[in-house]
Amino acid sequence: MTAIPSPLGGPWATTKLQARLTANETTKGLRLLQGRWRSAFVAAAGLALVFMGFSIVVGGGFDRPLMALTLPELMAVAIAQTAALQGVGGIAEEINGGTLEQSQLGPAPHSVHIAGRLAALAVEGLVMAAALGAGFALAFRLHFHLNPAVLIPALLTVADALGYGLIMTALTVRISSTGATVHVLNMAIVFFGGMLVPSTAFPHGVEIFARFVPTTLGTQVSNTILSGHPLSAAWNNGTLPWLIVHVIVLLTLGWAIYVTFMRRARREGGLSPR
Amino acid sequence: MTTMSYPTAVGKLSYLNAVGNEIYKAMRVAWSERVQLIIEVPMFIVFTLLLGPMLGQGHRIISTGTLNWSLSSHTSSILFVWFAPYLLLQLQVTKMFWRLLGEIQSGTLEQVYLSPLPSWLVTVAGRGIAVLTESIIVAGLLFAGVRALVPLHFHLTPSVLLPLALIILVSIGVSLIIAGLTLVWRRIPMIVEGILILIFLGSVSAIPVVTMPGWWDALGRLFPVNVVLTNLYGVLFQGRSVTTPWGPGGLVWMLIVTAVYLAAGILAFRAGEKIAKRRGSLSRY
Repeated sequence: MTAIPSPLGGPWATTKLQARLTANETTKGLRLLQGRWRSAFVAAAGLALVFMGFSIVVGGGFDRPLMALTLPELMAVAIAQTAALQGVGGIAEEINGGTLEQSQLGPAPHSVHIAGRLAALAVEGLVMAAALGAGFALAFRLHFHLNPAVLIPALLTVADALGYGLIMTALTVRISSTGATVHVLNMAIVFFGGMLVPSTAFPHGVEIFARFVPTTLGTQVSNTILSGHPLSAAWNNGTLPWLIVHVIVLLTLGWAIYVTFMRRARREGGLSPR
Repeated sequence: MTTMSYPTAVGKLSYLNAVGNEIYKAMRVAWSERVQLIIEVPMFIVFTLLLGPMLGQGHRIISTGTLNWSLSSHTSSILFVWFAPYLLLQLQVTKMFWRLLGEIQSGTLEQVYLSPLPSWLVTVAGRGIAVLTESIIVAGLLFAGVRALVPLHFHLTPSVLLPLALIILVSIGVSLIIAGLTLVWRRIPMIVEGILILIFLGSVSAIPVVTMPGWWDALGRLFPVNVVLTNLYGVLFQGRSVTTPWGPGGLVWMLIVTAVYLAAGILAFRAGEKIAKRRGSLSRY
């Protein structure tokens, strides 16, 4: 293969170009969201009904203290679900439509594609999560010990959910039927993450397993702070350090799988419909 | 548009041939997805085992911070009967959705109209049987997995094949409704997931594992699998006859619900198809 040297100039110019390309990818993702905002709205409404349904089935009614403990996981689920399902749907669309091949003609490296893709998914998930969180907190007058420190686990949970979405997106490049499996994995996040009952109520062995599930640790740390404890309490009980490790592992794994499968797909001609 | 009419004998043959091809194709796709079972089965086993102790126990979590996680044979048996039919519905709907979406995106959905079969039949024929096969395997593994940890007891009789057959038809109806929506709006995986979980939650009123509000029970009767689940529960746990015509889970109501969902599915699919054809968007994205 003959490589054409880039006429872009020095490293600063390359950085600027990459930032612009990332912004383009993000904008593209957000414009696509704009085109399907109605279905995103219906999905958010569906998630709200699911949360209320679980509150009734588990709590025997709208048990406010229980809802306050499970609401952070609802928000995390909104982001994880968006990242995984829309990520998988998006890349499947590009593969089937043939546009993933076209994206390889541009100067953007994989990291730019990943960053742009994730940023758009994050915005979509965050808007949904914020609307659900604020809506339930106000409608049911849920009580939280609000502390700015909660932003730390919140950001880490977002990154964790995006890491999960990235892994699913990357798997779709190689395994076209990933979509159906994501529904089962999303159910696992709902179940183990703490949207039905806080994951701390699980038997010890199950709780340890649950902590491997995306968003569980984030919700545990958030709940620690929202129940009035300082951030140091989450650090001391080990949940915060493990959350950081979890985020790093998921994002690294997602990135590695994405890059590996993209390279393999390019080599084997798997960037278009199989 | 000019349509060719088939001579009767050849028509029947090509009809059967097309159905056979669709089934063969779907079975091949299902076989290529066999690894998914490794993820699905353990998850469903854990859900079945752990969900029972959670139901209706919110107050206990708040007061003590924990739950009584002992496994009851009776509750686990009921939960298995709740989960197994739901599995069928879930697999049918999700597989239908993602495969249809893939065909829309890659343009092969338009080829369906070259087939002598009605488009909705092409859409469900092969996939229905493939999903049924996969569901039977998953349900069998689920039974074996749960049974290994807690004894399961119910009066299994061949008559349960009737409600199970009706659940298959209801699932096909629901999946066709989703397929109709997919033809119009396409990227709706989150809506599909929401609908599936709501159907699951709604069906809790069909089995006596937790006391639900009256309005929930009333609303639940309209949900796809509830009436069939009630019938299954009656047969497997109360020794009721599957053909009891009236009462909760009665045969008449079960047949009506099945027919309504199947008809609604076909109508929704045709409506979605009509819109997509008018827009010229069966393959355009």
